[in-house]
Amino acid sequence: MLDDRSPIYRQIAERIKADVMSGVLKGDEKVMSTNQYAAYYRINPATAAKAFQQLVDEGVLYKKRGIGMFVSPDAQEKLRAKRRETFFTEVVDPMVAEAKAAGIPLRDIIRRIEELEDS
Amino acid sequence: MKFRILLANCLFALLVWAAFWVLVTLITVGLGLTGRLTQSAWEVAAQLPRWYALFFGVSLIHEYLPLYVAHGRTRRQFGVEGALTLILFAPFLAALLVISYQLESVLYGLAGWPHVLERAHMFTEPTQVPLVFTEYLIEALAWSTAGAFMGAAFYRFRGGGLLSIPVGVLLIAFAHSAMGVEPWGPFLLAWLRVLSQVVFDLPDSPLMPLLGTVGVLVVGLLLTWAIIRDMPLRNQAS
Amino acid sequence: MRIEVEDLVLRYGDVTALDGITLTLEEGKIYGLLGRNGSGKTSLLSVLAAFRKPTAGRVRIDGQPVFENGRVTSRISLIRDVGETVNIGTGEEALSYAEALRPNWDGEYARSLAELFKIDLKKSVKNMSKGQRSAMGIIVGLASRAPLTMFDEAYLGLDAPARQVFYDQVLADYLAHPRTIIMSTHLIDEVSGLFEEVVIIHKGRVLAHEEKDELLAKGTSVTGPAAAVDAFTAGMTVLGSRSLGPTKSVTVYGELDDARRRKAAESGLELGPVDLQDLFIHLTAEDGAAR
Repeated sequence: MLDDRSPIYRQIAERIKADVMSGVLKGDEKVMSTNQYAAYYRINPATAAKAFQQLVDEGVLYKKRGIGMFVSPDAQEKLRAKRRETFFTEVVDPMVAEAKAAGIPLRDIIRRIEELEDS
Repeated sequence: MKFRILLANCLFALLVWAAFWVLVTLITVGLGLTGRLTQSAWEVAAQLPRWYALFFGVSLIHEYLPLYVAHGRTRRQFGVEGALTLILFAPFLAALLVISYQLESVLYGLAGWPHVLERAHMFTEPTQVPLVFTEYLIEALAWSTAGAFMGAAFYRFRGGGLLSIPVGVLLIAFAHSAMGVEPWGPFLLAWLRVLSQVVFDLPDSPLMPLLGTVGVLVVGLLLTWAIIRDMPLRNQAS
Repeated sequence: MRIEVEDLVLRYGDVTALDGITLTLEEGKIYGLLGRNGSGKTSLLSVLAAFRKPTAGRVRIDGQPVFENGRVTSRISLIRDVGETVNIGTGEEALSYAEALRPNWDGEYARSLAELFKIDLKKSVKNMSKGQRSAMGIIVGLASRAPLTMFDEAYLGLDAPARQVFYDQVLADYLAHPRTIIMSTHLIDEVSGLFEEVVIIHKGRVLAHEEKDELLAKGTSVTGPAAAVDAFTAGMTVLGSRSLGPTKSVTVYGELDDARRRKAAESGLELGPVDLQDLFIHLTAEDGAAR
């Protein structure tokens, strides 16, 4: 994404994606309805439906007519692959940039990562 | 449910009447025991219910019309129900007065007080039920119709409603003249009586009260309808 | 219910409250009606509910004229601050009139709402506090289950928790019984989440009518060095601007395509969202900046 604008439906979509990636929502599992999302987030159901539509377009969810929305069986793997692609540009690069700005040597960062890995 | 307004107002009027009856009876007994009672107390007391009828007419337009329109009824639907309510509420008020006179006659009889009328009425004895009923029926109809008309004028035109007062007074005066009696009480304006005699020099006929009443009712309700048929609900509370 | 309004004009004597409103609202959505004081919100809703006859123009609801048309008006409910539906005796009595006059009345729901709002129904409505009277109106408006339900600033006098109850109930009852709902409000931030579409009226005319998310997507704040911001926003519809030293923040109105977004990023400009309330304030600003 090029900017930080995030309408509420995009935030909802991101949260569902996070749940799928972490395995809270499993493949072929039914997700809550738009009405349940609407009531929970206090938003119009049309807004919730937009989040679902976006996820269907991205292949994270699929629709069973008259029953509801389900997690695509390969969604978790797809999202993880995508995450792996963007991880370095979206997470590591900014981190390194920030470390440089703060004057933290890269060696210190690597050491920290190794400590986390060991513990 | 039809006649919701009628039912509510009859119930409320009954409560008010019961309280009023107690008050009048207490005063009657007080005067009677001190020997100052010279006439029917209800002949005097009966001058208040006509004002009650007037404000009932006003409330039909001020309270109930906005309520009904806001609940999705048309002015036409309300007009029909309101008119029927007004026509049916009058005999209820008249009946309460008949009962008042009847109870009073029992009381006066027991106490031996003089149950006499001081002014001219359609009836000559407080116990002439049909005539007592007719007089107060006509009165209630005229006063509540005039109230509805003036209430409509004030609701719609605010200050301009003042212009409706002479018309309302004429309606009432006409009905009273049609009864061919002198119903104006001591605290009512004498000029009104003069006016009614000068303007409406009505011939003496048993049909006059009937025709006069129907005339007042029809003219008054049509005038009211002319004001409310496309009347907007106010944007601000009055 | 589907609402079609064409060239609607409403005058109060010399004052023109509605000055040629043309608007079509589809059935079954929640609409936000926004406008400054005196913009014509109450007038528009009053005409839709047949409380007033328009001076000129056409109003059709489900294809039928509205004024003095009982088949349509019996399906419409408008709750206004005036309180004509509740200012009648006690709370109980007000509900009993609603029950008698409203074809879809849900008495049990009305009672549960009265409990939620902590209303003593035995009390005379005229003796209730402003907030309690507003709550009475909300109870009548929701429990009437009218296919077209309208609330005109129905929250006046309610405290923040009671307003939250109001919004939650509107949403919950809409989800359970879908219908067309129009809410006019000044508390835009609190309630904008509920809206599917937004209508902004200004000086008796429609300033904007759009899906809320689309409308929001049109507002963008551009922040960065003043010169860069000015260069980037040249030729765009600028709704407002603020400066802090060398930094400038400008609110623009209109779609920004990916190319322009990329260009903004390259110029070191920060693009941010504008919430509905800010957008509304900018769009209806009196200094001629609007549109």
